[in-house]
Amino acid sequence: ALLPYVPRVPPRALLGKVTATTFTLEMPCCAFNGHTNASDTVWLVVAFANASDTFRNPLSQKDVPLYEQLPSAHSYMTLEASVAAYSCSAPSSAVLRVGGDTACGGQGSRDPCNGPLPSPGPYRVKFLVMGCHGPKAETRWSDPILLRR
Amino acid sequence: MAKSDDGIRILQGLLIFGNVIIGMCGIALTAECIFFVSDPHGLYSLLEATENDDIYAAAWIGIFVGFALFALSILGIVAVIKSSRTLLMVYIILMLITYAFEMASCITAATQRDFLTENHFLKQMLERYKKSNTDNNNDKRRSEEVTKTWDKLMLQNECCGVYGPFDWQNYTSVFRITHSDADYPWPHNCCVTNAQGSPIDLNGCKLGVPGYYHSKGCYDAISGPMNTHAWGVAWFGFAILCWTFFVLLGTMFYWSRVEY
Repeated sequence: ALLPYVPRVPPRALLGKVTATTFTLEMPCCAFNGHTNASDTVWLVVAFANASDTFRNPLSQKDVPLYEQLPSAHSYMTLEASVAAYSCSAPSSAVLRVGGDTACGGQGSRDPCNGPLPSPGPYRVKFLVMGCHGPKAETRWSDPILLRR
Repeated sequence: MAKSDDGIRILQGLLIFGNVIIGMCGIALTAECIFFVSDPHGLYSLLEATENDDIYAAAWIGIFVGFALFALSILGIVAVIKSSRTLLMVYIILMLITYAFEMASCITAATQRDFLTENHFLKQMLERYKKSNTDNNNDKRRSEEVTKTWDKLMLQNECCGVYGPFDWQNYTSVFRITHSDADYPWPHNCCVTNAQGSPIDLNGCKLGVPGYYHSKGCYDAISGPMNTHAWGVAWFGFAILCWTFFVLLGTMFYWSRVEY
């Protein structure tokens, strides 16, 4: 299912919303209502802007491209969260910071890593809801996000 | 002749009065320059690191010149009262030497102000703040001093960078070599701290949420004291020199009138 929500960088004044290796997104509160079960997980897909058209949703949890595969696959998925985190009662001023975890990304780790982005991009993102049988719903791709040099 | 006697008496009185003023101004100049040299704001290391610390040299000269003016004013009063040609000549020569030194100090202080621009401090901050691979001991010491000064500046004045925290995003720096952009978009000293000295919300500070980081630049906190310093040394010195000029002229005229 294609949801109408478009991820975007928050328009309000946050000095650090786009830096050289990180960027910030508004939290998609209430965007997944009615299309998901409580057991589903929401992932953030980050892809280079010119690779977003060729991105194919992974068919199952084990096909999810992780942070380490960004140079080869030109995309990865991160910020795995339960649907409850984006429910309608979540605080609307909260934001998601992509690239803020400098401690992850070690060799062989299979956990979703939210590591710093290696190049200024531009990147496009979308949210993808994964159920136990595969992808269930996705939002639209965002506008290209260019990081600072 | 009574008339010229009166005239000489008036001139003597004026010269003594002039010397008293010079003596007091000399003490004031010494006190003012000692205050500046003591560096109450701790900004000396910022200037020393760029080898542009001439305002401090001007202040040091001011200390000794002020003292010399005080001593010479006493000599001048004695010379005028005794009407001795030798003493007056000694006074005039020494006063001219002191005059030259004070002139040099004032001009140095006045022209050094042109060097204290924002870009000057910005460049130095980007090149030295938290520099880790230093070339030699001198470089290491200077970088450590600059780092300490900036940390103290940012904490006490609640400011960040020269123009603002974005200095560390807009320009390359040695800070960026050892501190990753994701963890340190700007130094953690720019974050608002609690009573214990640790940031109240590090994530808020990194994101730039208003209220969790210092958004104003530190340039005002640096240039304010330094400009006061430079103006104080330069213009008070020029005022003393103006006054001393007339006293010297009067003394030379008096010397030419005194008989052996």
